[in-house]
Amino acid sequence: MAQARLNRLTYAYPGSHQAALNDVSLLIDGGLTMVAGPSGGGKSTLLRVLNGLVPHFHGGRVAGEAESAGFNIIATPTRVMARSVGFVFQDPELQAVYDTVEREVAFGLENLGVPARAMPARVGDALAQVGAEHLVGRRVSTLSGGERQRVALASVLAMQPRTVVLDEPTSQLDPKGATLVLDACERVVASSRSVVLSEHRFAQLQPLAETVVIVDQGRVETHAARDSRPGRVEVARLPPAEPGPCVWALEHATVGYAGHPLIADLDLAGYAGQVVALSGANGSGKTTLLRTIAGLLRPLSGKVERRPVRIAYLPQNPGALLHRPTVRSEVELTLRRTDSATSADDVLRDLGLFEVAERYPRDLSSGERQRAALAAVLAGTPALVLLDEPTRGMDPKARIALIELVRKLRDRGGAVVVATHDADLLAAIADRVVEL
Amino acid sequence: MNARAVAAWSCAAIVIALATSNPVYKAAVVVAAFAVLAAAAGLGRMRRLIVGVTLLALIDILLNFVSAHLGRTVLFALPDAIPALGGPYTVEALAFGGSAALTIAAAVLAAAALSLLLAPHEVMDALPGMLSRSGTALSASLNLVPTITRSFTDVLEAQRLRGWRPRGARSWAEVVVPVVLTAAEGSIQLAESMEARGFGSGIRTRYAPAALDLGDWIVVATSIAAVVGFALARALGWAAEWYAYPSLESPIVDARVIVFCALLFVPVVLWRKRG
Repeated sequence: MAQARLNRLTYAYPGSHQAALNDVSLLIDGGLTMVAGPSGGGKSTLLRVLNGLVPHFHGGRVAGEAESAGFNIIATPTRVMARSVGFVFQDPELQAVYDTVEREVAFGLENLGVPARAMPARVGDALAQVGAEHLVGRRVSTLSGGERQRVALASVLAMQPRTVVLDEPTSQLDPKGATLVLDACERVVASSRSVVLSEHRFAQLQPLAETVVIVDQGRVETHAARDSRPGRVEVARLPPAEPGPCVWALEHATVGYAGHPLIADLDLAGYAGQVVALSGANGSGKTTLLRTIAGLLRPLSGKVERRPVRIAYLPQNPGALLHRPTVRSEVELTLRRTDSATSADDVLRDLGLFEVAERYPRDLSSGERQRAALAAVLAGTPALVLLDEPTRGMDPKARIALIELVRKLRDRGGAVVVATHDADLLAAIADRVVEL
Repeated sequence: MNARAVAAWSCAAIVIALATSNPVYKAAVVVAAFAVLAAAAGLGRMRRLIVGVTLLALIDILLNFVSAHLGRTVLFALPDAIPALGGPYTVEALAFGGSAALTIAAAVLAAAALSLLLAPHEVMDALPGMLSRSGTALSASLNLVPTITRSFTDVLEAQRLRGWRPRGARSWAEVVVPVVLTAAEGSIQLAESMEARGFGSGIRTRYAPAALDLGDWIVVATSIAAVVGFALARALGWAAEWYAYPSLESPIVDARVIVFCALLFVPVVLWRKRG
């Protein structure tokens, strides 16, 4: 039975002349449907159509017909469709309403008016479905990203929807957290519900998928999953580098914050023309170490030395950098501040951003936004480059562009440090991997 | 402990502290509030609160001392020609400031019970049904606070390494704008998540609303008794008022009123285990 049916659906966000979805006709059946495509192609918009967030929450212009779980999407508010279509978002930190796990899972049930006596059993069942029964009683703020995302999925499952939609649910998780979430998705599919999921790393789920929907420039194509070859970063490994002079060094450094040590007695150094990758689970101290190398945090003990060079630092949240009206002006700001003669166009081309150069950076998709932040910090010629999860939300093409860029930076004599969960990226660029 | 019991105790303490000008009764409320919080939350969790309350109290005393040039017991005097500060500095002004500081301390400590002893969802559960939706929205907003705080640090660090330096108020726009935009995006994402889980779709129910146990009922009953008893004492003239001006006199204390104030100590015993 069809779970969703779109017929010649065209949609544009408020204030945009360009359609985010263009004349889309699509039939989504039961089982697992995977949604793939480049960043900014319209995946998130398509997923939001399935529970009516587009157009009801976001506004904009819509034409055509759309039906999901038996509802006319265009005429039915999202809060009504919530009974039948559940939605899990990308960022596990921005979904929690309550501060304890069972209350969070019960939030949807409260909204649906489920009697209080029926709630504990449904909460328990939902947590069991995602393998998170042991989290009962925990505060949401103390959970890891993977645990939070499973709680988000449980809070949707407790509402017993016919269809569960997930928008890149693992993009911010370490491999272990991602595996736990994807295992939970497998269990949902096995319980005869339909799942629609957008995921860049979907090798694990591909055997389960019935259909793959490719979304690119607002248009969709549907393929049988067995015929589909989702993109994987297949690039030649960088040849080993001949390291230059030492750019940064930690001596017996204990790294942490607010007096809490995360990494003790670390001796580590980075050299010009070398890529050091920091790997490890969420919370292992990658970001803290990166901030210590950058000089943003002092080590709790020991010593950090840096050559007085220009540092480029990409934080985990690209939004921390972006405040100018266009992508181009973000790049130009850095070039101006660093007195660089490099052309903004070259930087934008290197990162595949030339086409969106005049757009407001915060209107871009998460992958494009990540690239815009990269362009903003890497413009000019930084001698020490610190990248925190640079491939977050990036599609395979953008990852390849990033790898090429890191290669260029290294070949120009830059010392690069990358904190990442991305095994493909590690394999492609790291001269040295530090497991934390 | 039930949020309604905490709210009842907190309200009773605030009402008594605000209803009297007698510093002895105010001090009794301050001691009761301090003892209850220390027993239920522990002194460790109260550290910032104690610092904050002490600062507020000192500022209040100082402001009254330098601005109220009333009273007969003059400690020293500054020339009248000095604007605002000129005039006599009196023991009475100091004592009146101290009394007002006790009111502030009592009110802040009593209100702090709601945040120190309860999780946001417990406070929300204490709200009447018609406020449930607003309470949920408030609880969700509070969850965003740590994210926004972290965002400020992230933005400041990222902009510094990109060459930003603080040069006057306008330069802070490069930090403030991304923080505000990130906070707004976070709020929108949270609202989207709430909408997608049916928030606002109809009449809400509550997950296992906590019932009052015997201990909670005792706290509610003694809190009500404290307020009613204090009101009665005032009506009967037992709870004498106190005024520092024009000359300082000792406050009159009635043991019966102290007994009503002492009812506020009941949670020290009942909530001790929760710490």
